[in-house]
Amino acid sequence: MLNAVKKSATLSTRILRIWATLPFLFHAGVAGAQRFPKPDFESGYKYPELYYAIPNESLWTAVDITLLAALMSVVAWAVIKRRTRAPVVVTSVISVAYFGFFRSGCVCSIGAIQNVAVALADSSYVIPPSALLFFILPIIFAILAGRVFCAGVCPLGALQELVNVKSYRLSKALTAALSIIPWIYLIFAVLFAVTRSGFIICRFDPFIGIFRLGGDIGMIVFGALLLVAAIFTGRPFCRLHCPYGALLSLFARVSVWKVKITPGCISCELCHNACPVDAIRAPYANKVKESRAQGVKRILLYLLLLPAMACAGALTLRVASNSLSRVNKDVRLYDMVAQNEATPQDVQLPELEAFYGQGGTVEELSRRAATVEADFRRYATAAGALMGMVVGFTLIGLSLKRTRKTYEINDAACVHCARCFSYCPQKK
Amino acid sequence: MGHNIANPVSRKKFLRLCGSIAAGVAAASISGVLLRRALTAQPRYFWQIDPMKCTCCGRCATACVLPVSAVKCIHANKVCGYCDLCGGYYRTNAKDLNTAAENLRCPTGAIERKFVEDPYFEYAINESLCNGCGKCAKGCNSFGNGSLYLQVKRDLCKNCNECQIANVCPSGAIMQVAYDKAYMLKDA
Repeated sequence: MLNAVKKSATLSTRILRIWATLPFLFHAGVAGAQRFPKPDFESGYKYPELYYAIPNESLWTAVDITLLAALMSVVAWAVIKRRTRAPVVVTSVISVAYFGFFRSGCVCSIGAIQNVAVALADSSYVIPPSALLFFILPIIFAILAGRVFCAGVCPLGALQELVNVKSYRLSKALTAALSIIPWIYLIFAVLFAVTRSGFIICRFDPFIGIFRLGGDIGMIVFGALLLVAAIFTGRPFCRLHCPYGALLSLFARVSVWKVKITPGCISCELCHNACPVDAIRAPYANKVKESRAQGVKRILLYLLLLPAMACAGALTLRVASNSLSRVNKDVRLYDMVAQNEATPQDVQLPELEAFYGQGGTVEELSRRAATVEADFRRYATAAGALMGMVVGFTLIGLSLKRTRKTYEINDAACVHCARCFSYCPQKK
Repeated sequence: MGHNIANPVSRKKFLRLCGSIAAGVAAASISGVLLRRALTAQPRYFWQIDPMKCTCCGRCATACVLPVSAVKCIHANKVCGYCDLCGGYYRTNAKDLNTAAENLRCPTGAIERKFVEDPYFEYAINESLCNGCGKCAKGCNSFGNGSLYLQVKRDLCKNCNECQIANVCPSGAIMQVAYDKAYMLKDA
C-alpha cells in the first residue's frame, strides 16, 4: 500500500517535470540541446570531478625512436663489422616484444609510407613526427648499411625470423613472378593514400592480430598461415608482400657499407644454402653467345619497349579508376544518396540518416565525389604507368645474364639476418 | 686509350656512387620538407569522436580492433538534467521504472544511478562494463540534454594509423585531433 502511494507520488512529480520541460522540447532542434534545466540542488550536492587519462604520447614516441635507431645501429655493427648473428636474434626478440606486443605494432615503418604519401600529396596534412621518423630512419640506415631495419628491428620481419627453421626454396620462376607483388602493393597503397581512400597496408597487416592477441578473424588466419609458411621458407611476408622492403631494397642497392662474402671464399656453397631469402648468388657461367655490343643493343631495345608497357599499364588503370574510386567513402556515400534520391526508401541506412541529418546537399556531395573521381583518374594513370615500368624492369632484369666467378650477395634482397656468417668455414 | 674508361668495375663503382648520392639527396629532401611542416604546424594524431556529428549508430561497439571497443560513453554531469525519467537510462517503452533489465536502455548495465535529492538522480558510467554501443547516448540525445555521449578513451585506444571505426563511421564524426585536444568534452 505504502509502496503504491510512493510510486504514484514519484509518478506525479515526474509528469509535472515533463510538463514543465515541454516548452524546452519544442525548441530542441539539434541533438543534445539543453532541454531540461540545470537542477538547483538544495542538499549541497557537488558535481563529481571526472578525470580522463591521456597517455604521455610524446614520451613514448621518444622511446620508440631512440629504440629504433639504437636497434638498427646494433644490427649494422653486428652484421657489417662483427659478422655475427647473436645480436640480431637479441634485437629480434626485443623488437617483437616491444614494437610488436607492447606497442601493438602502430605506427610502423611499413604503414608510415602512407602518411608520407598523404603528406607529399596534400600540403594541409601535417604528418606526425613519429610517422615521419619511422619512415625516414630505416631509409637513412639502408643508404648507409643496407636493410638493417628488416633484419630484426621490424617486428614483422623479426617474428618471421624467430620462427624460421628450414628454408625451402621456391622455384626461380615463381619467385620472380611473386617478387612483383610488393611493388604493386606499394603503388596501390600510395594510390589509395593520396586519394584519402584508406590505408590498405594497415588494413591488411598480417601480424597485427597476433601482436594484439585479437582482431578480425580473416586477418588472424592470414597472419597464422604466413607464420606457418615462415617456419618452412624464409620470410614469406618480407619477400613476397612487404612494400617497405621493396622501397628499402632500392636504397640497399647503393648502400655505403655492404655485407661481403668472406675473403678467401672456397665456394663451399654453405652460405648460399643457409640464406633464407636467396640473396647469395652462386657462381654462374653465362653460356649465351652474345657480344657486348649485341647485348647493349638488346637492352636498349627493351628500354624502348618500356614506355609501351608503361602506357599499357596507365591505360588499364585509367579504365579501372572509376571502379577503384568506389573504395573512397565520399564516392560510396554519393552512390548511396543518388540511389536513395532515385528510389526513396522508408528505412534509411545510418549513412543516409547522418548525411540528411547534417543537412548535406546532393550538389555539394556530388562535387566532392567528382573531385575524388578526378583524383583517382589522375593518380591511377600514374600508378598504372609505374606498374608497367615495374613489370618491364623485372623482365629486363630477368633477361640479363652475367657471369659470376664467385659467390655474390644480392644487396637488394639481403635482409642482414646474418645466418650465413656462422656457416662460413673461412671465418676466424 | 690512355684512360681505361670502359673498365666495368670502375663504371659500376661510379654508378653506385651516383646512386648513393641520389638516394641521400632524395631522403634528405623528403625529410627536410616534411619535417619543416611538422615543426611549424600541430600534427593531428589522436582519433576522437566529435559528439556534435555522432549519430550513435552503434558501429563503434563492433568495428574497433580491440575485443571490447576503446569507445566508451562518458557523462557530462554539468550538462545533465538529473532527471528521474532519463532517456538514456530507461528504454522508450519501459513497463516499469525500476532497475529490471527489461526496462533499462544499457545492454550491459553500465549506467549506475544514485539518488541525490528529490527529484534528482545522478548518473555515472561504469567504464569496465560499457561497450560503446551508444544506445544511451542516442536516448539522451532524443529525450534529454545529450549529456551522455561517446568518446574514444585515450588510455584504451591503440591509436591505429588508420582507425577502423572511422572507416565505417556513417557521419564522419571520427577525426584526428591534436595532442593537446585529446578529448572533445561537452562540459569542458
